[in-house]
Amino acid sequence: MTLRILFHMARADFFERTRRYSFLVMLGLVVWLGYLSATGALAMSVPPNFVGEVNSPWVGALMTVTVTMFLGWFGFYLVKGSVARDYETGVGQIIATTPLSRPLYALGKWLSNFAVLSVMVLILMFAGIAMNLFFGSAPLDLWALTAPLLFLALPCMAVIAALAVLFETIGWLRGGFGNVVYFFLFFMGLIPGLEAESYQPMLDPTGFRLIGDHIAQAAKLAYPESEGGFAFQIVTAATEVKYFLYNGFAWTVDIILPRFAFVLIGIGLAVLAALFFDRFNTTKVLRGKKRLNPDPVQASASEAAPLPSLQLTPLSAARRFRFGALYLAELKMLLKGRRWWWYLASLGLVIAQLTVPSATTPFLLAVAWLWMILLLSALGSREALHNTGEIVFSAPRPTLNQLPAAWLAAFTVTALMGSGAFLRYLLDGDFLRLLAWTSGALFIPSLALALGVLTSSRKPFEVIYVTWMYLILNAVPPLDFVGVTSESPWQFYTLSAFALLVLAAFVRHWRLRGGKLAR
Amino acid sequence: MHLTIQNLSKQYRRDFWGLREFDLEVKPGVIGLLGPNGAGKSTLMRMLATITQPSAGTIQWNGVDVVKAPDALRSTLGYLPQDFGVYPNLSALEFLEYIAAIKGLDAKSARRRIEELLVLVNLVNAAKRPLGGYSGGMKQRVGIAQALLNDPQLLIVDEPTVGLDPEERVRFRNLLSDLSGERIIFLSTHIVSDVEATATEIVIINKGHKIQHAAPEKLLQTLEGKVWQWVVPSEVLPVLKQKHIVSGVVRRQDGIQVRAVSEAAPASDAQSVAPSLEDVYLHLVSQQNGAAS
Repeated sequence: MTLRILFHMARADFFERTRRYSFLVMLGLVVWLGYLSATGALAMSVPPNFVGEVNSPWVGALMTVTVTMFLGWFGFYLVKGSVARDYETGVGQIIATTPLSRPLYALGKWLSNFAVLSVMVLILMFAGIAMNLFFGSAPLDLWALTAPLLFLALPCMAVIAALAVLFETIGWLRGGFGNVVYFFLFFMGLIPGLEAESYQPMLDPTGFRLIGDHIAQAAKLAYPESEGGFAFQIVTAATEVKYFLYNGFAWTVDIILPRFAFVLIGIGLAVLAALFFDRFNTTKVLRGKKRLNPDPVQASASEAAPLPSLQLTPLSAARRFRFGALYLAELKMLLKGRRWWWYLASLGLVIAQLTVPSATTPFLLAVAWLWMILLLSALGSREALHNTGEIVFSAPRPTLNQLPAAWLAAFTVTALMGSGAFLRYLLDGDFLRLLAWTSGALFIPSLALALGVLTSSRKPFEVIYVTWMYLILNAVPPLDFVGVTSESPWQFYTLSAFALLVLAAFVRHWRLRGGKLAR
Repeated sequence: MHLTIQNLSKQYRRDFWGLREFDLEVKPGVIGLLGPNGAGKSTLMRMLATITQPSAGTIQWNGVDVVKAPDALRSTLGYLPQDFGVYPNLSALEFLEYIAAIKGLDAKSARRRIEELLVLVNLVNAAKRPLGGYSGGMKQRVGIAQALLNDPQLLIVDEPTVGLDPEERVRFRNLLSDLSGERIIFLSTHIVSDVEATATEIVIINKGHKIQHAAPEKLLQTLEGKVWQWVVPSEVLPVLKQKHIVSGVVRRQDGIQVRAVSEAAPASDAQSVAPSLEDVYLHLVSQQNGAAS
C-alpha cells in the first residue's frame, strides 16, 4: 500500500512537471549541454594539454562530470518548487486532509525530483552515445559509457533531489534566500573533497575527485611529464592536444558502496525534510510572522459593524497620469516587507563602502548589490507571482506607465545601495570605477526586469545573478559590471541595460496585446 | 455612454470556441450575465476588460473600437476579476494607493476616494494591516474597492459575491444598484438571486452563444402560466426529472413538493405559480442543451 501511494504521488507530480512549458526549457538546456560536450566545447583535460581518446569510458566520464557539475548546481533550481506549488495551488490543503504521512509525502516529492533529474541524465547519456558513434575512435561500449552515470551521477542526483525537498520544507529556505544559500552550499561543498590529501569517498558526492584522480593517473601512465590534476572547462579556442587512452573504472565494491551510501543519504535527507514539513498548516508560519499575518477570522469578525449609508464623491473626468505617484508607489512596493535588520545591514554596507580602504570598496559594492537580490528578483514577475495581472494591466497604458516606474524604482534602490561606493569614487576621482558603477546601477534593474517579464518567475534572476556576482567577486573581467577589475566593459553593460529594458517593454506589450498574461 | 459588441468571438483551440459571434448593445444599467460553468462569461468579461484579445469582432465604447485602442476604455474602466491576488506585504490602504497611482488618480482625489471606499467595503479598521493576513471575503472586498477607485463608467465584476458572507453579499448587491445610475455595470455570476436583485437587463449565455437578452420582466413573461407546483411521492421524482425541467424540490411530510416548467399542467393537482428568473434560466439553458444534443 505504501509503495502504491509513493508511486502515485511521484507519478502525478512527475506528470504535472513534465507537462509544463518550463520542462521543455529545462530539456532544451540539457540538450544544449549535451551538444556542448559532444562537440568538444565543454571538455575534460589533464593540464597542460592531455585529453582522452574519444571512447566509451571517456565519454561516460565526461557526461558524468557534466551531469554532476551542471545538474548538481542548476538541477536543484529546476526541481525545487514542487512543494511550494502544493502550497500555492491549494492542493496541499487537500493532501493534508488525507491519511498520507509526512515522511511518505517527502519521499514522494524526493522520488519525483529524482525522476525528473534522471530524465535529464538519460538525455545526456544519449548525447554521449551520439558523441561516441559520430566522433569516437573506438566502437560503442554501452556499459563503459553508462556505468559512471549510473554509479556516480545518479547517486549525486539522489542527494540533490532530497536537498530540494529539504529546502522546500524549511520555511526560511523555501524562497529566494534558499536559492542563494544553495548556490554557496554547492560550490563550497566541492572544496573539502577536492582539497583532501587523498581521495575521501564520502566528501565527494559529485564524483568529481574520483574521476579527476582516475583520469590524471591514466594521463600520467601515457605521458609521465603530465602535471597531474584535472580540468573541466569551456573551450573557447582550439589548442593542440595530446591524446591518451582512458579505459575507465573497474567497478569494485570499494567504489560502488560509498555511492550507494549517497542514495541512502538522499533518502535520509528526504525523511529529515518530513520533520520540518508543516503539513500545509500555514498557521505555524503565521505565528512566526505575527506582524504580517493577523488571525484572519478575528479580523473578519471585528469588521462586522453596521455600514453607514455612504455616497461616493464623483471624480472629475479629466485625469492626467502622474508618473511621480506611480514611481513612489513602486518604490514603496520594493522596500516593503523586509525585516528591520535587512535595512540595518543595508545601511551598514553603504557606510562600509565609504569607510574601508579604496581597494576593498568594489568588493563591498558587489556584496551590497548582491544583498538586494531578493528585493529585485520579483521585478517584472510580481504580477504573475501574486496574480494581480488582471487588475494592474487593465489600467491605462500598462507597459508605458508601469514598467518604467518599476525600473526607475529599482534603479533608485540599486543606486542607494551603492551610494557609499559612488561617493568614494567621486572623492577619489576614480572615474573609471564611476563609469563601471553607473553601468552596474543601470544594468542590474534591467536584467531583473527583463528576466522577470520573460519568465514570469523570480528564480532565473536569482540563479543567474548570484552566479554572476560570484564570478565578479572572483574578478572575471568580461562579466564585471561592478568595477572590481580595471577592465570592466562598462560600455557594453550600459548599452545592454537599455537593450534589456526595451526587450522587457516589448515582451510585456506583446503579451498584453495578445492577451497572454502570464499567471 | 454606450457599449456595442459585434460578432465577438474567441477561439482557444482549433475546435474550441470560448465565445462565438456574440452581439450585444447596452446602455447604462446593471447587465446581469448568467450562464453555466464554462459558458463563456469570463471570456466575455476578460475581453471587455481589455485583458484578452478577441479572435474576431469588435467592442465599441462610445464609438471607439477598444480592441484596437484599449486605452480609450481603460481610464474609465473598473474591473474585478473572478480570480485575483493581492500583494501580501502591503496594507489595503497601500494597495489601493498603488492601484490609484496606476489608474492615474491625483493624490487628493485618490486619498478621499480610498477613505470613502474603505468605509463602503467595511475595511476601515483593517486598512493598515498587511493583506497577507486577510480572509477570503476581506480580500474580495479590497478587490471591489479597487474596481471602484476611478469612478468607472464601465464596471465589470466577475463573480463578485464569491467568499462574501450573506450580510456582505446583500450590501454589495445594494451598492451595485446605487452605482448603476449613469454607468454600465456588467455583473457575471451563476447565483441567480444576485442578478434578480440588481440587474436591469439580463444576458444568458450558454456554450459560447448568447441565448437571450432582455429585461427581467420580459424574461419572466415568457414563462407566464408555464411554471407549476404540486406534491408527488418521492419515488416519482426521477421520472418527473426526465420529463420536465424541475427547478425546485422541497421535502414535505406528505411527499415532495415539485416546481417544474411545462407547457401544460403536468398533473391534475398541479397549480400554476409565478415564474422566477431561476425557472427562466433553467428553461432556456436546458432548451438549448436539448437542441444541441
